Amino acid sequence: MAAPSELFCWKGSWGLPSVDTDSLIVLAYARFAGTPLKVHKISNPWRSPTGSLPALKTKEDGSFSQPSKIIIQLRKQKYNADYDLSAKEGADTLAFISLLEEKLMPALIYALWIDPKNYAEVTRHWHAENICFPLNFFLPSRMQAQQLDRVRLMRGNSTLEAGEEAEKELYSDALECMNLLSQRLGSNRFFFGDSPSSLDAYVFGYLAPLLKIRLPSSKLQQHLTALENLTTFCSNILSLYFPDENQERIGHPASNVQEGSNFDREPYKRRKQLLSVLVAVAAMLGYAFLTGIVAIEHVKEEGLTGNTTSTDLNDEEE
Amino acid sequence: MSLAAEAFVSQIAAAEPWPENATLYQPLREDQILLSDCASSLAVQAYLRMLGLPVRVHCRANAEYMSPSGKVPFIHVGNQVVSELGTIVQFTRAKGHSLSDSLDDVQRAEMKAYMELVNNMLLTAEMYIQWCDENTAAEITRPRYSSPYSWPLNHILAYQKQWEVRRKMNAIGWAGKSLEQVYEDVSQCCQALSQRLGTQPFFFNKQPTELDALVFGHLFTILTTRLTSDELMEKVKSYSNLLSFCRRIEQTYFESQDRDSQSGALDFSKGPSLM
Repeated sequence: MAAPSELFCWKGSWGLPSVDTDSLIVLAYARFAGTPLKVHKISNPWRSPTGSLPALKTKEDGSFSQPSKIIIQLRKQKYNADYDLSAKEGADTLAFISLLEEKLMPALIYALWIDPKNYAEVTRHWHAENICFPLNFFLPSRMQAQQLDRVRLMRGNSTLEAGEEAEKELYSDALECMNLLSQRLGSNRFFFGDSPSSLDAYVFGYLAPLLKIRLPSSKLQQHLTALENLTTFCSNILSLYFPDENQERIGHPASNVQEGSNFDREPYKRRKQLLSVLVAVAAMLGYAFLTGIVAIEHVKEEGLTGNTTSTDLNDEEE
Repeated sequence: MSLAAEAFVSQIAAAEPWPENATLYQPLREDQILLSDCASSLAVQAYLRMLGLPVRVHCRANAEYMSPSGKVPFIHVGNQVVSELGTIVQFTRAKGHSLSDSLDDVQRAEMKAYMELVNNMLLTAEMYIQWCDENTAAEITRPRYSSPYSWPLNHILAYQKQWEVRRKMNAIGWAGKSLEQVYEDVSQCCQALSQRLGTQPFFFNKQPTELDALVFGHLFTILTTRLTSDELMEKVKSYSNLLSFCRRIEQTYFESQDRDSQSGALDFSKGPSLM
């Protein structure tokens, strides 16, 4: 058996195995199919063999970067999560993946990259923090420009911009798509029976970031949390197939939970306390020096000239 | 448009019955229209015929620029203009005409998903073959697209459109595909549709839905349009149930109705028929 292929994908955060939809799809599919992969979770797309993430590097056939191509490649290596599906279910898979790409993807990109508040506070923040030093200054804004361009071309609307109109248009499609997915899933555990297939990987990849990433303006998230079967579907996959991510969260649940509620206040409070103590100490020292130094110099000078004042000072100090 | 205004418009739409003089606009049929536009236009016509709503087809050289969304076809009903099948379906539903009301929730979800499959794969493949295959673009697409305009406007507009489509292909990751891969995608899409249809007369039970109209529009146009190579047509022809599906819809909604109505409201005369 040859050495396992290598998979390069965006690193995770917020309890997700990866923050990027395409990376999540591939990771989930690989877990579903039981593929042995050497996974590199990185935060620098330039270190991937194709220049974009995710990327699969195989010994024989070179590198691939689109999720659909990676899945085909994994299938060629006999790791097929769709083996049990009937031909009609295979057709349904194709149809629902198209639905996700046409209706949900633009809204997801909008929520993460175009909505000004979400982009500034979450997306750019995360990327700037995680991408290494010189790249973090221009890579996030370049990625944003690419994503905006992509949504514009997909919608055939070259003047699309962040704003109420675009948001309403994209989100109404996305909400409808989520409702349809929820109806299709019904009370099933996975989309086709009891074992997950590639469609489950795709749906998971699109919905899990919405569920886990805390966004300041969160219309999509609110709608998703109202669809109970989809949220349990995602958390099921997370706990069954990515237990290590969960453990990481359970490992320090106390800090996480508390930070969740007091996240904004806690550090500022401490900083304020520290600052006020420092200011007080500085004021006291300053006062002491202003009077004390003079006195001490006095002592030294007086010590050289005479003893009378030095005894006075000693009294004062006592 | 604000929510209140939108609700107001849909109320008006609901109040007004379908007028006799509804018009569908598309590019010139003989010299100008392209495969993808023709398919979309045929899908809308099939949809309206399935509902039994009369519409007059008008060909205009500048239809693309008349359309509110820049896409053809669009329909002009009363004092409203609506473009593209998805929006037209919503519009007719507001007026109380719908083909998909009898479906349950799961079926409706599946119908929407398959409609996106057609848009995502068949329509994109048609656009790719038209504009990104240099043979087809040079011999058929650019001359036809720019036929109403004189030099130098014809070249400017055609190259501008081609540039735009290629950028779109780039954005959705199709730019790296070869022509063979695109044919393979078409084949995969037809395979999925054929599996879904099985031996039923329509995609969902015995009633046609907007999905049937959309699939018919695209497949029939592919089957009856001559391109530089026959490969696209051959891909579709290998699925016999899809062929008979197209034939059935053509006979039920186009030939018989054309025979019945002598009013001239429906002037549908496509090139070679399937028979």
